Amino acid sequence: MWSRLTYTFRETGASLRRNVTLTVAAILTSAVSLFLVGGTFLVQRGFDNLLSKWAGGVQMIVYVTPQATPDQITAIQQALSSNPTVIDVDKLVYFDTEASLAEAKRLFAADPGAFALLNANNIPTEFKVVPKSGKLDLLVQLADSFRPLPHVQKVVLARDQVEQIAKLRDFVQTVTVGLSILLLIGALILIWTTIRTAMYARRREIEVMKLVGATNWFIRIPFMLEGLIQGLVGGLLSCGFLLFFNRLWTNGVVKLKGDNGFIALVVSDSFLNGVMFGVVAFGMIAGAIASGVAASRFLDV
Amino acid sequence: MIRLENVTKIYNSEVTALRDATFEVAKGEFVFLVGPSGSGKSTLLRMMNRQERPEKGAVWVAGRNINEMPDSKVPHLRRNIGNIFQDYKLLLNKTVHENVAFALEVIGRPKHVIRQQVPAVMDLVGLAGKQDRFPHQLSGGEQQRVSIARAFVNRPLILLADEPTGNLDPGTGEGIMRLLDRINKTGTTVVMATHDQRIVNMMRKRVIQMDRGIIVRDQARGVYE
Ligand SMILES: Nc1ncnc2c1ncn2[C@@H]1O[C@H](COP(=O)(O)OP(=O)(O)O)[C@@H](O)[C@H]1O
Ligand SMILES: [Mg+2]
Repeated sequence: MWSRLTYTFRETGASLRRNVTLTVAAILTSAVSLFLVGGTFLVQRGFDNLLSKWAGGVQMIVYVTPQATPDQITAIQQALSSNPTVIDVDKLVYFDTEASLAEAKRLFAADPGAFALLNANNIPTEFKVVPKSGKLDLLVQLADSFRPLPHVQKVVLARDQVEQIAKLRDFVQTVTVGLSILLLIGALILIWTTIRTAMYARRREIEVMKLVGATNWFIRIPFMLEGLIQGLVGGLLSCGFLLFFNRLWTNGVVKLKGDNGFIALVVSDSFLNGVMFGVVAFGMIAGAIASGVAASRFLDV
Repeated sequence: MIRLENVTKIYNSEVTALRDATFEVAKGEFVFLVGPSGSGKSTLLRMMNRQERPEKGAVWVAGRNINEMPDSKVPHLRRNIGNIFQDYKLLLNKTVHENVAFALEVIGRPKHVIRQQVPAVMDLVGLAGKQDRFPHQLSGGEQQRVSIARAFVNRPLILLADEPTGNLDPGTGEGIMRLLDRINKTGTTVVMATHDQRIVNMMRKRVIQMDRGIIVRDQARGVYE
């Protein structure tokens, strides 16, 4: 067992050194592609956060002041429900203080300072309004009639902020997913080429190994380890990029301040950590599998 | 130990390298395969450790039909068969000791076995004291001894030798021949392809003669012709 391990590490190390140029190219390509994969997740998460307020076809939010009494809240609910041809009453949802605070906590994950300023006495509660299908225009016309009701703080329409953002998200999604797939393929081809080159450099050794009865797994494992290490290093590098750009992004968004809701574009540290872990694991597994398959292709018994 | 039954080998569906070859080699026997270049000697040897598979016929080694063996068993078959070649196939970046140890290392033999078996086989092939040289610091005959040590260090049942004296001057070749004879006397079955007339005539062993893929003579205590 020990002799197997030392053999494997010695061969892997020698092969990585022998192939410096290709190895570096494979590592850099995997780093950039894994960075894009991770970045795609982060950007999606940011947009989803931002849009999550509006999930489920919500087109209008009626904010109610925290001072409203239960009777006054009921009055607003009745005013909304009295338009059953426009508003889908079954889907009408009320976020009470607790639910509104929970939502804010999620949206302000990146800015705990701002969240700390919120409490039951100053956070507005919300009615989330879904229109009946095809009735969006009528809902927009109705919006003005809710503004003067007592204790309505403001009425916000999705049309004003959400649709542009959703379009932007779809565009960004297409670009990042497309680019990361392309680069991933590039990275796999480079790892494949590195392994093939490494095997060509060692063809005499492989021939001897096969003749003296080494198993294909034994021959393959140093190469798989080589691919795994390339994926690992590429993954770690991509984590560096992700940390750097996420910091840049977070700082930029936090500086925007104001009541524009963009703070939700920032993702939480735990999500970032999850993405980084996933990217490294994916890099290692993909690298090992790509080189294992490459090795098998050039290893017919 | 080895039995071929009506073995036919066709390369790329056009070159018939072996046609209907049938013979048997007993345990501990020594056999010369002779014949001109291209007559199928190397192909015949490669049939015996499943480097090639026949289009027709069967190859039996140590009681097993090796062409019906799953791929995963082939390495274990090969651990019982040593190979030596005209060009030695040594690893040039490894020392003599490392070249021989390599054969045990890559089949997962533990360190203490390697430490014990490598020096023993070095003595046997007459290379004691040269373990730390690299192949380029050795003569042709010495390099062939290293390759024999590597083939024999795991004590295989069978040794397949493909023109092992082909690159050596007559005196050196004779030394290698005597070494193979000594290995044969330990009970190892040896099949040796050669067109070295002198050596075949000197040894008076069984001779199987090939011509364009056909066995044209199989003679005990034969000569080259
Ligand atoms: N891998 C191969 N692919 C195609 N033809 C081959 C291959 N190996 C050998 N041959 C052909 O098979 C015939 C026998 O070759 P070989 O077994 O090498 O003969 P020998 O060892 O007696 O010189 C020759 O015609 C040779 O060209
Ligand atoms: Mg030949």
